[in-house]
Amino acid sequence: MQDLKLRASENRGKSQLEAGFDLLGWDEVTQGSVLPSFEGDASGIANLKAEERNYSGYNSYTATVASWRVVKPVFNIDVCIDCQNCWVWCPDSSILSRDKQMLGIDYDHCKGCEICVEVCPTNPKSLLMFKENEDLETALSGWPEKTKKEKN
Amino acid sequence: MTEIRWHSRAGQGAVSGAKGLGDVVATTGKEVQAFALYGSAKRGAALRAYNRISDEQIFNHAKFMHPDFVLVIDPALAFTDNIEVNEKPETKYIITTSLSKEELIAGIPALAGKEDRVYVVDCVQISLDTIKRSMPNAPMLGAFVKISGMFELDYFLENMKRVLKKFPQKIIDANMEAITRAYNEVK
Amino acid sequence: MAVEFEVNEREVWDGNYAASQALRQADVDVVVAYPITPSTPIVENYGSYVGNGYIDGEFIMVESEHAAMSGCIGASAAGGRVATATSSQGFALMVEVLYQASGMRLPIVLNVVNRALAAPLNVRGDHADMYLGRDSGWIQMGAFNAQEAYDLALCAFRIAENHSVRLPVMVHQDGFITSHTAQNVYPLSNEAAAKFVGVIDPVDDMLDFSRPVTYGAQTEEDWHFEHKAKQHKAIMDSKPVIDAIFAEFKEISGREYKRVETYDMEDADVCIIGLGTTVETARVAAKELRKEKGIKAGVLAIRCFRPFPYEEVREALEGVKSIAVTDRSSPGGAMGAFYNEVAGAMATSKARPMVTNYIYGLGGRDLSIENVKTILTEQQANVDAGYITTDLQQFTNLRGPHLGFFKTARS
Repeated sequence: MQDLKLRASENRGKSQLEAGFDLLGWDEVTQGSVLPSFEGDASGIANLKAEERNYSGYNSYTATVASWRVVKPVFNIDVCIDCQNCWVWCPDSSILSRDKQMLGIDYDHCKGCEICVEVCPTNPKSLLMFKENEDLETALSGWPEKTKKEKN
Repeated sequence: MTEIRWHSRAGQGAVSGAKGLGDVVATTGKEVQAFALYGSAKRGAALRAYNRISDEQIFNHAKFMHPDFVLVIDPALAFTDNIEVNEKPETKYIITTSLSKEELIAGIPALAGKEDRVYVVDCVQISLDTIKRSMPNAPMLGAFVKISGMFELDYFLENMKRVLKKFPQKIIDANMEAITRAYNEVK
Repeated sequence: MAVEFEVNEREVWDGNYAASQALRQADVDVVVAYPITPSTPIVENYGSYVGNGYIDGEFIMVESEHAAMSGCIGASAAGGRVATATSSQGFALMVEVLYQASGMRLPIVLNVVNRALAAPLNVRGDHADMYLGRDSGWIQMGAFNAQEAYDLALCAFRIAENHSVRLPVMVHQDGFITSHTAQNVYPLSNEAAAKFVGVIDPVDDMLDFSRPVTYGAQTEEDWHFEHKAKQHKAIMDSKPVIDAIFAEFKEISGREYKRVETYDMEDADVCIIGLGTTVETARVAAKELRKEKGIKAGVLAIRCFRPFPYEEVREALEGVKSIAVTDRSSPGGAMGAFYNEVAGAMATSKARPMVTNYIYGLGGRDLSIENVKTILTEQQANVDAGYITTDLQQFTNLRGPHLGFFKTARS
């Protein structure tokens, strides 16, 4: 099932913003409105997985847009063929995939646009939209069967 | 001068709601202003919309206001946005929620002790029942008409029909039903 | 034949919609556009009026604002009534071509919905873009609300196309604060608007095949200076034409416009001078301050930023003791440009009042009634002390320590 470790904690980054990040005076804001993406030395960052990186509060990785969503995609690993179509098409890099193995959805950054569902080629689809408050087990237990093509 | 602040998410229709309200108010001969704080806001992002209503031309263009009414059309924003910011002792709150007034106030410390000026109505459910999608702006207008006492319901409905005239009859009827239901259900 | 678009006596329109309705009623022949926030709805609406048959015009989408103004120049040189709209970065990209339009004396109307210039990126209203146009040879007029965005757009065609003017005109409105704020607007009837604006009578139009002409001639030191001087004289001389057209507009609308507007200035000791929506907020502040503290505060507003109304400003400020000039654009190492204009005008006055400069509202930072009162109260302190007690230039409503520059040598 989905690797929940890949999901960042709820409201990450938000505490920093509320602590006055956005309320600095003109003498304290960064030169040229340039913002560091990582905390500390980021050498070798390219070889680290996202969850291992020390993203700064300025990085969009540390902000969540989960509350923007009305409906959410649910991923069914039993049907998925790891074609990576959803990973390619997702406009918010919210498809979690490792070594071409589909792992799940980054619900911190998914805005519920449904593009992943649209581009999923399997039958039945491996991604379907559900109401935001639908729990995972219920969603998966009612997954549709394969639909047969009607012959004329 | 009556000042109103809407708390909403982009896409829920607060801007249209504020403009629609302004449109109807203007027919009574009053001067109105309807504006919002948005621009690069994406669908789903929190936003605030504003109305000013006056007997005379409105010159104040500041966003800053001490609202007479705070209209919250997203259930979650009642908890996460500072809906009480710049309030005054007589500010009235109309909040979209599926909770009872007591449950809501229990969850929002800023509303404690303001029972007599907090009103609740489930605009999301009303819009799902009538308009068939989550469009809580129209029901909120119905609740506002009731609480503010600014218009007779029938007068408001007649004028809203004119504001919505570019839409198909089915949508106009659904909006009228949504406004009427919220008018009757707000408490 | 175009389909009749129904307008009511009283509408609730935002500034963008109001401006687009003016374009429709003026029966604009060609709009060439590259839409940009927050001015997008002006050209978008024009496109829909064409698409839905409400006007018989051409809406041409191009690849940049540079191309948009270039297209406008072509259509205007051909003899058409031409308009477009832009903001911010789009205006900046248009700047090169703005000089072509005014140099060729083409009566184009540009609706500028004022917005900050990046970096940092910002979509909200300030006057950085407007200031870029101040030497471009265009007439620049400012609307303080949606009604005025509509009224001035109609007047702009009359001014631009007047044969003794023949200069392009910008009508400015504040991004979001006017463009996206719906207010009561009382439009003219379609007939009244059409009658007021009239039909364009082009000069040197390229589609007049009885008299072929060349546009875009090269002039070096032997001719360039004379052409520029003639153009400058034309914009300086446009003042009475603008006044006459405003007077004519008052006849049909009841709404009076002046190149310099004054509010509570008759007995004012202190005043604030502003552009755009700031003027109206300041009017409320000045009135309240008179009541609350007995400070004789007034507001002076520049309707016509180019040609700059030096004489009228000097006259209106006669008797005022301390003046705050507000610039909504970061001046980048100088006093604000608007301050310099007013200070220049007042240097020639008998009384030589104190003139101070406030930088405010960049990137759409709110200007509240309280902010204006603070500024006016500081002017009263200057009057009481008899000299400028603050830095000559101050940033106001800014987070962080006080930021100000340049102290007066008088005391």
